Parts: sequence; structure tokens; C-alpha cells
Amino acid sequence: MSDIVQQGAAPRTVARRGLTPTRRMLQIAVGRMDFRIGFVGFVLLVGLSFLLPLISPIDPIKIAYSSKLLPPFPAEGWRWPYLLGTDQLGRDVLMRCLVGLRYSLLIGLTTVILMFIVGCSLGLYAGFRGGWVDAVIMRLTDAQLSIPMIILAITILGVSRPTVPAIILVLGLSGWPLYARVARSVALGERNRGYVLGERVLGASDLRIMVLFVAPVVLPPIAFVAVLDIARMMIFESILGFLGLGVQPPTPTFGNVIADARKYLLNAWWIATMPGLFMLVSLTCLNLMGSALERARNAVLRGEA
Amino acid sequence: MFVLSFLLRRLLQGSLIILLVIFIIFTLLRVVPGDPARLIVGGMAPDAVVAMKAKELGLDRPIPIQFLSYLSDLATGDLGTSFVRPKSGASLGGSAFDDSTREDRAKVLDLILGTLPMTLQLAALSLAIALSVAVPLGTLGGLHPGRWPDKLALGLGSICVSTPNFWLGIVLTLFLSVKLKLLPAIGYRGFSYTILPAIVLAVEIIPFILRTLTVSVAQVMREEFIQIAPIRGLTRSRTVLLHALGNAAIPLVNLLGVQLGMLLGGVLVVEFIFDYPGLGLLTINAVLQRDFPLIQGIAIFISVMFVAINILVDLIAMTIDPRLEY
Amino acid sequence: MSDPILAVSNLGVDLQREGRIKRIVDNVSFALQPGEVLGLVGEAGSGKSVLARALVRAIAPPLEIVSGKVVFEGRDILSLDPRALARVRGNRIGFIGANPMGSLDPRLPIGQQIVEKLRSVQPEIGRAEARDRVLDFFGRVRIPSPSARFHEAPFQFSGGMMQRVMIVDALVSDPSLVIADNITQPLDVTVAAQIIRLIDGLRQSLNTAFLFISSSLPVVAQLAERTLVMQRGQIVEQGLTSELAANPRQPYTRTLLSRIPPIWKDVMAPTATDGEAVLKVDNVVRTYFVRRRGSFNAYNQVQAVRGVSFTVKAGENFGIVGESGCGKSTLTRLLAWLEQPDGGRIAFLGKDLSHLSAHSLTEMRKSFQLLLQDPYGSLPAGMPLLRMIEEPLLIHGFDRAEAARRAQEAMIEVGLDAELAHRLPVGLSAGQRQRINIARALVLRPRLLILDETLSALDQVEQAELLDLFNRLQATYGFSYVFISHDLALVRRMCHRIAVMYLGRIVELADNTTLFEQPHHPYTRALLSAMPTLEHNHFPHTRYLLDGEPPSPIDLPLGCSFRSRCPRAENDCQKTDPPLLALAGGNYAACLHRHEKETADVE
Repeated sequence: MSDIVQQGAAPRTVARRGLTPTRRMLQIAVGRMDFRIGFVGFVLLVGLSFLLPLISPIDPIKIAYSSKLLPPFPAEGWRWPYLLGTDQLGRDVLMRCLVGLRYSLLIGLTTVILMFIVGCSLGLYAGFRGGWVDAVIMRLTDAQLSIPMIILAITILGVSRPTVPAIILVLGLSGWPLYARVARSVALGERNRGYVLGERVLGASDLRIMVLFVAPVVLPPIAFVAVLDIARMMIFESILGFLGLGVQPPTPTFGNVIADARKYLLNAWWIATMPGLFMLVSLTCLNLMGSALERARNAVLRGEA
Repeated sequence: MFVLSFLLRRLLQGSLIILLVIFIIFTLLRVVPGDPARLIVGGMAPDAVVAMKAKELGLDRPIPIQFLSYLSDLATGDLGTSFVRPKSGASLGGSAFDDSTREDRAKVLDLILGTLPMTLQLAALSLAIALSVAVPLGTLGGLHPGRWPDKLALGLGSICVSTPNFWLGIVLTLFLSVKLKLLPAIGYRGFSYTILPAIVLAVEIIPFILRTLTVSVAQVMREEFIQIAPIRGLTRSRTVLLHALGNAAIPLVNLLGVQLGMLLGGVLVVEFIFDYPGLGLLTINAVLQRDFPLIQGIAIFISVMFVAINILVDLIAMTIDPRLEY
Repeated sequence: MSDPILAVSNLGVDLQREGRIKRIVDNVSFALQPGEVLGLVGEAGSGKSVLARALVRAIAPPLEIVSGKVVFEGRDILSLDPRALARVRGNRIGFIGANPMGSLDPRLPIGQQIVEKLRSVQPEIGRAEARDRVLDFFGRVRIPSPSARFHEAPFQFSGGMMQRVMIVDALVSDPSLVIADNITQPLDVTVAAQIIRLIDGLRQSLNTAFLFISSSLPVVAQLAERTLVMQRGQIVEQGLTSELAANPRQPYTRTLLSRIPPIWKDVMAPTATDGEAVLKVDNVVRTYFVRRRGSFNAYNQVQAVRGVSFTVKAGENFGIVGESGCGKSTLTRLLAWLEQPDGGRIAFLGKDLSHLSAHSLTEMRKSFQLLLQDPYGSLPAGMPLLRMIEEPLLIHGFDRAEAARRAQEAMIEVGLDAELAHRLPVGLSAGQRQRINIARALVLRPRLLILDETLSALDQVEQAELLDLFNRLQATYGFSYVFISHDLALVRRMCHRIAVMYLGRIVELADNTTLFEQPHHPYTRALLSAMPTLEHNHFPHTRYLLDGEPPSPIDLPLGCSFRSRCPRAENDCQKTDPPLLALAGGNYAACLHRHEKETADVE
């Protein structure tokens, strides 16, 4: 039945088919409501996090006892412009959240790019070459996967100094095996596809086939799903911060701000909860975008759209 | 016969992986800065004492020799002795360099096995909570793609996956424990202390189950044998319960194996927030105190568990689906 | 005439998408008598499968039944309440589809699933009785060792065996009507012929009516007394099948008939020209090692290609035919040097390929090219057409300007519009895509083109156009072609010499006329007799059709590998594995008891 249904729908699909699969995925994702909500929210928050600290007179680090422990906006006794209140040292919670988001996003994004590059190139190579190269690389990822990444990360950061590059390196290196696995399995599938065989018969080298033909087909769908991982890495970064193994104070990050504010939970609940809520909102936006991209990718790969 | 040869092959593969893990962890801990001998005896101790301690612990030997002797100890089931923890209770720290002898310190394996049941209890409860929420919702979402159960599953999943676990722990403690006094939160004095950490952990697991299940159920429902079932005369309930769910369970079982590492990461943080005396808390304290033998032991123990559980997962998947072969 | 068992009147089904409505089944009316076999033919997309599902009300959005009645055993199926419908579907009406491998739950034993079905439509039947009934049916459809296979899962069956299982699934509840939708389409020609023969036998003993749907009139003609012809959702002609084939009244039926390629009547077999040898394949062997299921490190040897030899001459069209599993795909990979043979040699233009250095092999690749079956997967997505055609030249070090010039020439030569040069391949038809592939091969000026089922994804019209293109290119450049195909009609039309493969071997190699009119090997005769044709088949079913399925290439029978299915097998066939023997006229056959003297049974 399905073939008939598709036949019947032919004019519609043909009209939209003048696009590569990657563009098609993007197009479907952008058309989805959840993507739009996520996108607007995310752009707003990120824009704010880069603009507001520039134009606002409030310093997120400077201590001002005169304005300490002000409650957030709807509550009794809040003061302009401290929308989300202030902490025990009189620093604006919103401003600290925005700066935290900047660091978090920077670390998340760089980490995922690192994981993506390392994981995908190793995975692609393993899947495409097969044989012992494949076996060695895959056993290595198995070993790495069986060491829980969080233990690895806190161990390394716990015994050495947690700087931003160290955090990125540790998170990125412990996250690459999943990418390697995915890229390998896709490359294995592509290896016997017609276009690869076609290139082989024409006399193209392995490297040429991989870089010029396989990578452009295989990588964009993986990259779409990597958006979800940015959010995951941002959470990991905040966990490290919470444990005291992230970016060190006085630089505010979600993790160290919340860890710090635990002591004031009973008399100033907003110092700990507001940054978390802020983070929850921005990550939900990011995840909505990511899952919309993932669903669009699935629909295209299944040949439904 | 079939199962035996499978087990044999997987065990060989597994031991290779574990050997690699041991090597990686061991090297990693030797190359990072920080002298464990000085750590034990304390910063104020004279250099001679530090050197003596290092000699006593065998830390002055070349690293390959240390590795080999560690391996041979491992083979007899000896994971070593903690640097800082005494046999009973709280850690000693390193201030007094002359008051504790090596014999008084706890065996790594005992420490691990002592805290493991607590962690297993937590993990089991949170898995039960997660499954009871995510399986019905995920299945419904997969049965009605694009409709409200699907959207609910997607929305709930997105929010859960965006929630930092430590923050959720704090918020739940504030509301359920401090304000409403419904559940106890900090420490452990009975089963009720497991509930709150288990909820936090479940929130972390739920999105993964939801995502996998909605996708796999929706995919199975498009298969020919499900589409054709009503024409063959099967009822819808039978088709969904017996055939669709049975097939959709395979990716879920595999996911639980692969995501085990993530689950463990969650355990670590959650136990830390709630001061829950399990393996996770032990790990974090070991890291904060630079208790190298303990870190090493825990990492190896966990990777052994990881390998074992993955073999188990594959066995379960094989009984669900006879086509699979590993 | 008794009351019809099924009477369809004014049935209409619509497809609704994005506010547009398309009629898929348009006002269809027909009737079916008890025990009758009614054929339904139409091309892909004519709506016949939707019609089949509408008859059992298995229509879901975006499709919708908009009008008509389907009166089955006196009651309108379209207005039954769900419980009454459940008593009809799968019980009084059986359904067999085109995808036997996907029709049952892949995890569970097939016997259990058919028992489950039988007991859910007839709950009064006990478990043991249901089981006995299923086993009895397994015997009737000739599934070997039924009680063992009862417990096997679908993946342990071949496509043909699984289709037998699905026939049991449809018949086990003793229905009065079975709808068979394209059931032979995925099967090999000899297996499909067995299924047809099986259904023919069963319906005589069971008195069940069949609606037999196929896209091929010759297939339908083997079973159906009456046939409906469907085009764009409408029944355009109906009548006795023989009548329809002999005197079609509607232009569409005439078109359908004209597209059936002739095999014996009015055929001009292309005759060979003698030239130098381009490709020489000498005793080539390829064996795969596959880990035995459930073992630690025991391996099975899959002997995919076992000692194949042949020569292709300049300007010649050489055909290789065989059913699935005969080793022709492996041979293709060997010929294209995507894999190396384990034994024997492949020489191209006199040079043994395994002795060439990497550099000269790359150089040599310019002279032999492969065209693949799947026109969609064989092109890199996301690359403009012209760039794609330049690619082979760039690989071989031509400069960009020269490559662009030659690519443009090639586009014109294969009949691609120059406007397409900077477009992506998405949205192009299968035929246009194959033209791109041909252009990519052409720019390197090869001597030999290997065509691996290249035309089988195309419709008849596109096929004919490309065959003309192949002939034209051959006249211009003197190409040789190797056609690897399961389509006997195609090789009949195109090839000078043809090799027939069975289980990794060439069992017969002969010129076109000899192979189709006086083949020596019993397998060749079986292949020809299994072909559904409207013309008189020179090799009647009753005499030449095979039983059983090919043995697994893992454990081949001793002696002649064909003897397990061979109607002429004698004692000596168990001992001697016959070599390919030279016969008169440069032909070869590998059989101890050839149809030597026997001329074809032309009555």
C-alpha cells in the first residue's frame, strides 16, 4: 500500500525535492513549532547574555552590601533593576546568570565540536577501512565507554587545576566514543552503497571517497543530533562547577553560584533556585531545537518527506 | 552450547576491555600532578618521612613495575588499601603523620562492597520510577505520532533532560522536605531516605527512555507485519501488546546497557547532594581526598560491572529476539 | 450461475493530503463467483493494491473509502460493525501480500503465530487442534519437515518458503475468498512458478475463490479464467483472460500487451561479430568465510563463485543470467575488481589484473566500468550534475577545463539536457539518473561496460530508450557489454552469448538462439519453462519445472550440484561433478545427461 500512497503523493514530494537531504532536514525542522519556540527563546537569552553585560552598569562580580539579599521581581520588596534579586553579597542574580550562560555555552559548544571532530573522524575511518584498524579503534571506544565519563572528568579535574581549556578537554575526550560509534556504524552502511562503489570503479582513492563523498552525506545528520549534546555538556559543566571542579569563583557559573547559595536556601531561596530555573529555560529551548532537528532527520532518513 | 560460546567470546572481549581500562586509569593517575605520599603524611611532614611513606607504599618503584604488581594483586582479588580511610568510619585526612599505620586503613574492596547495596537500592528504585512513568507515556507517544501523547512525551522529555540534577535535588529538598515536610532528605536513616534521591535520578533517566521508546514503537507500528495484522484477523490490543511492544523493547534494553555510564554519573551527584552513603559519595570523597587506590579501585570495579551488565543486556535482547547474534 | 461470493459496486477510494483530493480507486464494480480465480492486472500505481485493501476495509488516513458497496457472502463489508468485521477478516477472507518476509513478527516461531491467528478468528478451536491443522496445511503446501519448521522464526526461511507459510496463514481458517496481492513479485522465476502451481492445485481441492492481483498479465494468465484490467483507478476492460490476450478491445490493454517482450515468436536474436578478446575470465573462485551461528570460532565456507571461465570479445554483448544466490553479484564485484578472486585470474586486454601495480590498476580502471542497479543510491547526493560527470576525469588527473568540456559533450551524447548541468540530482527520474551514470562511465572512453541489473529499476519505456542508447554507443565506440540480469527477456533481446549460472557455476554457455531454442542443460530448460508468457512456452511446465529450492552454498551436494532438483538425475550424477563440456558451435554445458538429441518440444 505504501508504494501506492507515495505514488499518489508524488507531485507534492517532487516539488520539494529540489533540495539535498540536509537542506530538506533543516527545512522540515524550521517548519516545526517546537523548533521555532526553542529558537526564539534561545536567541533571546543568548543575545541578552552578550548584550546586557555590555550596556548595563551592574557588575556581576562587584560586591555591594547595600543591596544584598533583595528578593526577585514579583515578591515583596524587590528593587529595580534587580529582576531576579541579589545574593548575599549584593550581586545581581540575573547578571550572574547571564555571565554563567556565556561560559556554559562556550564550554558546551567547544566541547561538542571537539567530540564531534575526534569521534567522527576516528569512527568514519574505522568504519570505512574495516579490518584491524576498525577492531583497534572500536576496542578503544569500548574501554573508554566503560569508564563512566563523570568519574573520569572529576578525577582528572580533581587532581589537576580546573581551567576552562582543561574542562573542555576532559569533557570532550570523555565524550568522543559515542560519536565514534555512530559515525562508524553509518560509515559501515555507506561503504557498500552504490555511489561509493561507483567511485571505486572510477579509480578514486579511499581518502577522496571519504572526504569528498561519504563525509558530506554522513556528518550533517550526526551534527543535528549533536545540538542535544551541547545541552548535555552544559549540564555536565554545571555539575563540575557545583562540585567545585569547574570554572573557579569569582567568575560566576551556574554550578558554583548554586553550590554557593545552598547555605542561604532557607532565608533567601531565590539565590539558588533562580539560576537553576534560568538554566532550565535556556536548556529547554536548546533541547527543543535539538529534538526538532532529530525528528526532521528521522523523517528524511525514513524517506517520509 | 549457543549461549556458552557466546559467553566465552564476550568474556574474553570483556577482559580485554577491562585490562585496557586498568591501564588507562593507572597511567592517568600517575601522570597527574600531586604526590600521594606527601598527601598521606601531610604537608607539614619532613621529606624523609614522605620518602619513607613512598617506599612503604611502593611508590618509589618504576611505574611499569608498580603496574605489574598492581595487576598481580588484582588477580588475587586485592584492590589495594585506601590511603586515607581507616577501617571504621570517617576519613582521617593527612594531618597527623605518625598516628595511623597502614594496617588500620580500610581495604578498597571492603569499602566498595560496603556501599554498593545502598547504591543498588537507589538505582533500582529510580529505575522503577522512571520505567513506570516513561514506558506508558512513551508507548502512547509512539502509537499516536504527532498527537498529544507524542507531544507530551516530547515536551516532558525536553524539560527533564534540561533539568540540572543538583538543582532539582536542592529544590525538591526545599519544597518536599523543608517546607512541606513530606519526605526526609539528607543522610540515611531508613528506606524513606531513598525516595527523594530516587526521584531526582528518575527525572534524569526518563527522557532517554521516552525518546527511545517513542521512536521505536512508532517505527515498529509502521512495519508490514503490524499493518497487516488486522487483515490477518488479529485484534489491535493483541497486536500492540504482544507484537509491537515485544519488538520495541529491544532498543530499550540496549539503551539501558549503553546509558549505564550516564546513570552512574547521576548517582554520583545525587548521592553527594543528599549525603546518601553509597558508592557515589564514596567516589566523590575519594577524589576530593586524592585517595588514589580507592579511585582506581572504584573505576575498575565500575567498568567490570559495566561489562557484565552489557553481557547481561545482550543475553536478554537475545531471548527477546532470536535473530540477534553478537 | 450461482450468487456471486463477492460483489463490488461503485467502490471509490480517495487520497487526501494537504487539502488536495486524488481519486485512487474510481467507481470500481465487479463480481466474483464461488471457487473462481479472478485476475486483476495494472501497472504500479494503478490503485490495485489499494483496491485489495479496500475490499477488507483496511484503509487508513490519508486514504478514505468514499463510495460503494463490497457485498461479501450477502453482507456489505463496508457497513459491518467492528465485531462482525473481525469475524470476516482473516477468517472468511484470507489475504496474502507481496512481502512474505515482513508479514509475521520476526521474533516469534511461525507456527505459533499462525495458531495465534487461527484461534483469534475461531476461538472455539483448541490449541492442540489448531496446531494439528497448521501442521496439516504445512504438508499440503509442501514445506519440508513441517513439525521442525513450525518452531522456526521467519528469518530462518527463504522468500519462497515464507510465501508458502503465508499461504497457509491465509487458508488455515478455511476462507471462501483469498485476496492474493502480487504474491510472486519478490520471488525468483522458478520459485514463483512453483507457487503458482501450488495455488492452482490448492484451489481445486479447496474450492476457494481467489482474487489474484499482479502487474504482469502473463502471470495472471497462468491462473485466472477471467481478468480485470485496471488503469488509474478504473477497471478499463474485463473478460475471459484468453480473450483479453488475443483480442484486446481497449487501447490500454493493447499497450500492456505490446510491452510484453517476445521470447520465441518473431524474435531476431542478435548475432555475434568476431573480435579480439577484451575480458578473459579463467577459472575464477571466490569463497567467503562466515562465522557459524552460535559457535565460538567455527567458520562456514560460502562458495559464492566456483571456477567460472568465459571470454568477452570486442563489440560483443555477453549475458550472465541466474536466480538469486547463484553468485552473479559476487562475480560482478570480481569483474569490476571491487574484490579480488581467491583463485583463477581475470585478464583485461591481455593483462592479469592481480599482477598490476596500484598505479597501472588505476590507469586500467579507465577501460572497464560498472553501471549499478539502483539509480538513486549510485549517485552522490549534493553534487551538481556536471561536477559529477567531471569527477572520473578529475580522479585521473585531467585539468578542470578539459574535464568540463568533455563532461558537457558526454551529457549531450547520453541525452541529458544541458540546462541540468548545474542542478543537483534530486528530483531526477530513474532513467535520467542512469544516463548520468552512463555519462560518468563514458567520459573515460572505456572498452567494456558491466551492467549489473542496470535496467531493472526502470519502466519499460525508459528501458527501451536506454537499450537504444547502448546500441548507439556500441556502434560509435565499439564497446563490449556484460549484462548481468535475472531478466531473460532482456538478454534475449540484447545479448550475443549468454551464460547461465547456478550455485556459483556456469552450467551452460551458448549463443542466444541455441540457449533459447535448444538448451542442453536441464536448469536452463527449467528457467525457460518457469517464465510466464502469453505465447506458447516451448518448455511446458509439466515436463521441465523444478521442485524444491537450491541447496545452500555452504554445504553443496556431492557430485553434480544441480542433482538435488534435477528431473533427469541418475546414479552417476551423485559421483561425478560434470565439467563445462564443449559442444558444437562453440557452446558449453555442464551436464552428464544433456538434452542432446532432443530438440525443443515445438509441437
